[in-house]
Amino acid sequence: MASITMKDLVKAYGDTEVLHHIEGDINDGEFIVIVGPSGCGKSTLLRMVAGLETVTSGEISIGDKVVNKLEPADRDIAMVFQNYALYPHMSVRENMAYGLKIRKIAKAEIDRRVREAADILEIGQYLDRKPRQLSGGQRQRVAMGRAIVRNPQVFLFDEPLSNLDAKLRVQMRLEIRKLQQRLGVTSIYVTHDQVEAMTLGDRLMVLNGGYVEQFGTPIELYDRPATLFVAGFIGSPSMNFLPAEAKDGTLTLGNGATVSGGGHSTGAVTLGIRPEHLMHDENGPIGISVQMFEQLGANTLLHGVLEGTDTEIVASMPGHVSTGEGSVMRFSAEASVLHVFDAASGKRIEE
Amino acid sequence: MSKPAKRDRRILWAASVPMMLLALSCVYPIYFAINNALKDRKGYILDRFGLVTDPSIENFVTAWSRARFDEYFFNSVTVTAGAVLALLLVSSLAGFALAVLRFPARKLIFGVILASLMIPVQVVLVPFYQTIVALELLNTRIGLILSYTAFFLPFSTYLMTAFYAALPRELVDAARVDGAKFLQVWWYVMLPMGKPALLTLGILNTLYCWNDVLISLLVLQDERTLMVGIAALRGEYTTNVPLLSAAIVLGAAPIVLLYVIFQRKIVAGIATGAVKG
Repeated sequence: MASITMKDLVKAYGDTEVLHHIEGDINDGEFIVIVGPSGCGKSTLLRMVAGLETVTSGEISIGDKVVNKLEPADRDIAMVFQNYALYPHMSVRENMAYGLKIRKIAKAEIDRRVREAADILEIGQYLDRKPRQLSGGQRQRVAMGRAIVRNPQVFLFDEPLSNLDAKLRVQMRLEIRKLQQRLGVTSIYVTHDQVEAMTLGDRLMVLNGGYVEQFGTPIELYDRPATLFVAGFIGSPSMNFLPAEAKDGTLTLGNGATVSGGGHSTGAVTLGIRPEHLMHDENGPIGISVQMFEQLGANTLLHGVLEGTDTEIVASMPGHVSTGEGSVMRFSAEASVLHVFDAASGKRIEE
Repeated sequence: MSKPAKRDRRILWAASVPMMLLALSCVYPIYFAINNALKDRKGYILDRFGLVTDPSIENFVTAWSRARFDEYFFNSVTVTAGAVLALLLVSSLAGFALAVLRFPARKLIFGVILASLMIPVQVVLVPFYQTIVALELLNTRIGLILSYTAFFLPFSTYLMTAFYAALPRELVDAARVDGAKFLQVWWYVMLPMGKPALLTLGILNTLYCWNDVLISLLVLQDERTLMVGIAALRGEYTTNVPLLSAAIVLGAAPIVLLYVIFQRKIVAGIATGAVKG
């Protein structure tokens, strides 16, 4: 078990800097999810921790040891890859044993550990099969088994579930979480799926364009997103953004409607309201010209525009709502769930 | 019979006849060689093309013992086996390095290897011969093994590089995280995964080395390889055609045998994808 520290980490390919001064402390036994859109540098960051990519500048430590110059083999880590990366010419048993065999661990010990990991992952009956004879979910388990048997200080997951179908993904997500809690191994998990990130991580590092936008618990990110990007990325359906003018604790929307909020700031801001925080209220300040409904069963998503403007807005209403297309429905939101961002910098404006 | 069926039949015939002639042109020399190898000289002169009436293996015995084909055969087997092993070993290592490792001038080196593919052997014969002499490798089997390896290596390296470059990179990453050093990655992962390509190269290079006359004639001047021995059987004024035929059959047999043994593996090797998604 070990903590991981990233200090002023930079990665550049030639003159192109792809990761900019990443800072982060990961505690022993913590499950960290790095999340962000494609090309934000999250996989590169993970591969730098693994030692598969060189560090341009800055420092990575695992435990108390700076590992910048260490080979992946000497970092005591295990990694699970998106396409599983099982050795196709080896049986499941050989795949799992390979890392131990190369470290010259005694045969009996290898057998014991492989058996143990196979039991945990319930793949005991497949040990003599080749990877191509297994389904996607089974292969994923083997890939995790290969990581577990090594008993490493750190687990690294590089989008391990994105090749699985939706149902299996949810199931494996839970299993990974349970497994990590049971083994207590420090883990870093990379994904582009915000639901996966929210459900798995003790803490989330949101990466965008090579910058850390925010690093905190899922609830912190949901309740107090630090930037417009995090606000839009975390939560589903994503947050509504309404341009507004702030003055003396009042926000004036594009159509002249006002809501209280914005604290002491003055000038152009962006008001963020999550769809689930818009309450149906006949006297509410926010009017929505309804365009269509999406029935999700438990709730209904109302799509429309802010009355008198063309700013799109989504509201989530409990139960079944299906009448009112073309009309204007009114909503209100509590001041505590409003998020105000500086329109120019996209940074959160604290009350 | 209806009209369309009649027309189909005509097309079938029009395609089949040239095909059959083509097939015949391939099969006939083989028949000619085997048939005449079984005749004696008199029988051959009296009837060149007719089926052998009194078959005898006299010519094979003569070729093997009196024309020193036993020695030639041994030379060919040693040199071919040595060269093919060296080729597979070096091209697999080089392919691994060029496809997977990142080092300076990697593209340049690959470019030079590709360029050397375009140079015919004949063009470099003189400097090649001088090099062999300077290295005191003239008339040694090891010299011929090294020569074959040098001449056929560019293609082998190119093929292995292309093959390894198509494998998912994560396999190498996974092995490195598992604790393998680069040579271990090659030995445990790349070499076994390269089997289909190595098998193809093994067959091709065996053919090239076994059938070569030119390089062998230059390097091994005192001793001979099988193909040089066969070529030497042709006299300026007379040729003992039955003896030559027997020698040809002896020379071709190992290759045919090799193909029969590996045929199924070759097909299976090509059919099995290295990685299924």
